[in-house]
Amino acid sequence: MKKRNPILTTLFWILISLLTLFPIYWLFVISVKPAVQLFSTPDLILNNPYWGNYTEVLGNRLVRSYMINSLIISSGNALLCTVLGFFTCYALSRFDFKGKESIFFWTITNRMAPPAVFLLPLFLLMTQVYRIGEFTLLDTRIGMILVYCTFNLPFAIWTLRPTIDGIPKELDEAAYVDGASPWKVISEIVFPLCRPGLAVTLILTWVFAWNEYLLAATLTNFDARTLTTGLSEYVTTTGTEWGIMATISVFTLIPALIVFGLVQKHIVAGLTFGAVKG
Amino acid sequence: MANVKIENVVKRYSNVQVMHGVDVDIEDGEFVVLVGPSGCGKSTLLRMLAGLEEISDGTISIGGRVVNDVIPKDRDIAMVFQSYALYPHKTVFDNIGFPLKMAKQPDSVIKEKVTKAAEVLDLDHLLDRYPKQLSGGQRQRVAMGRAIVRDPQVFLFDEPLSNLDAKLRVTMRVEIKELHQRLGTTIVYVTHDQIEAMTMADKIVVMRDGRVEQIGSPLDLYDHPKNVFVAGFIGSPSMNFVHGTIAVKDGKKVFLSDHGLELPVPENNARTNQAVTYGIRPEHIQVGDQGVPMKVVVVEPTGSETQVFAKSGPELIDALVKDRISAKPGSELCYMIDPANVHLFDRETEQRI
Repeated sequence: MKKRNPILTTLFWILISLLTLFPIYWLFVISVKPAVQLFSTPDLILNNPYWGNYTEVLGNRLVRSYMINSLIISSGNALLCTVLGFFTCYALSRFDFKGKESIFFWTITNRMAPPAVFLLPLFLLMTQVYRIGEFTLLDTRIGMILVYCTFNLPFAIWTLRPTIDGIPKELDEAAYVDGASPWKVISEIVFPLCRPGLAVTLILTWVFAWNEYLLAATLTNFDARTLTTGLSEYVTTTGTEWGIMATISVFTLIPALIVFGLVQKHIVAGLTFGAVKG
Repeated sequence: MANVKIENVVKRYSNVQVMHGVDVDIEDGEFVVLVGPSGCGKSTLLRMLAGLEEISDGTISIGGRVVNDVIPKDRDIAMVFQSYALYPHKTVFDNIGFPLKMAKQPDSVIKEKVTKAAEVLDLDHLLDRYPKQLSGGQRQRVAMGRAIVRDPQVFLFDEPLSNLDAKLRVTMRVEIKELHQRLGTTIVYVTHDQIEAMTMADKIVVMRDGRVEQIGSPLDLYDHPKNVFVAGFIGSPSMNFVHGTIAVKDGKKVFLSDHGLELPVPENNARTNQAVTYGIRPEHIQVGDQGVPMKVVVVEPTGSETQVFAKSGPELIDALVKDRISAKPGSELCYMIDPANVHLFDRETEQRI
């Protein structure tokens, strides 16, 4: 095999990384410029950053509440989907019951359809069907947590199934013989071995819920409004506040970057987990 | 310690019956080996003993208690799996101590028992390691440690040596046997390797297609196989089989193969003209200048012994001799067979005559 030139390879990947990171850098550049400078000749190098957008965004009570909503909804949803997905996959992997594979396939097909297809039925469900007196799920955090389950739970089941399938059944059996109860088998053996897969599922479902716009824009008004929908409020009839939008976008990116960085190790392990039985 | 009684055990998977009324009696402290080819049901039977498979019919009792509906953890058994089934995220100490932890034993007791088991198995210097950091033999010993630490009534071994290399297999074989002698606990051991069965067992249960073919001591099975299957399965190299009939020559019974090969037979119940399968173990054939003339096909010297494959017409018969033989393929030699070592089976029923 022909040996590749390491310098060329490194240069190639530096270039690709720059191309990928450039929009993020540019977003940051926009966020630290006052409105008047935005449409002047673009300047690649950052001079005298203007932090006014940041102080305005951080001082804005609405944006803060959007951020809290986003955090609660995406964290709640990711946690719920991961936990439910874990137990569903455990049942699918370890027990034999009629229609097992059909259930698996039927569940993941939910993920195949475009979210817009579910908009009207979900709206009707939230406003008409699931209501107790005056209380409906529309524009509530719990409502949005449940709505995102429509897409994230199938995804969680999809990613966790191979992880649990990859844990030899003999480990469960050995634990049963060693005196473990079914719950102990799950908590002592299966759960710890699933950690990489669970981390991947948690982060990816979290990112989906954090980034989601369409459903949040339609099914929330004020109380459960999320950061992504909050962004659109800065496109007004009098103009678009690019600086503020860019700043909010930076705030949208930060938590995702932090969470991603924290579980990056697990993601790499998780994506290869179960591929080869070790 | 306890005796184990398997009575008329049947196993069905929906409409397919895989176990057809198996009966095995295992005495207290006995080392019993279930042996048979792949798919004979030996592992299924062991798993039924462990409570990992349900029993469709019949009863299994351990220490006089019927355990058909008792869950594995309440059967007072310990099992060593083929793949060892060590918990990869736990250290050797935690692996061995796991059954005690599940039994809610205090930490001091766990430490004491694990340390003792580790000493017995020469694992005391490896207690902090993870399974992936161990060699095959060490993993095997950890799996055994996890079993002995519980001090169960019965040990179940499911092909525990099949993942080890040949040399280590012999070492571990001795270790398991030694462990049995020391602990005296009843052991049920599954293997497809008849050498393992012969060398380790007090009693061998030979199985085929979900049925017990024969139960007996290793030498009993070797000397008096009940049928062609057991005769062919027990012993290495396998017994030679030649099809033919019993004839009379000069007033004496002889065996005449379908292709005209004449071989000596013992005085037994075989009738004249009865269609039989003639069985002779390779190690019971002597090679020399007198006897049945054969043409050498292949000679396999192993140092300690030599295996000779020779033909008479289309019949290929191999002999295993202690001497070193200089015969070349194509050359002629003679097989001497002592009729006392010959096994005759009815050709139709395949049962011993």
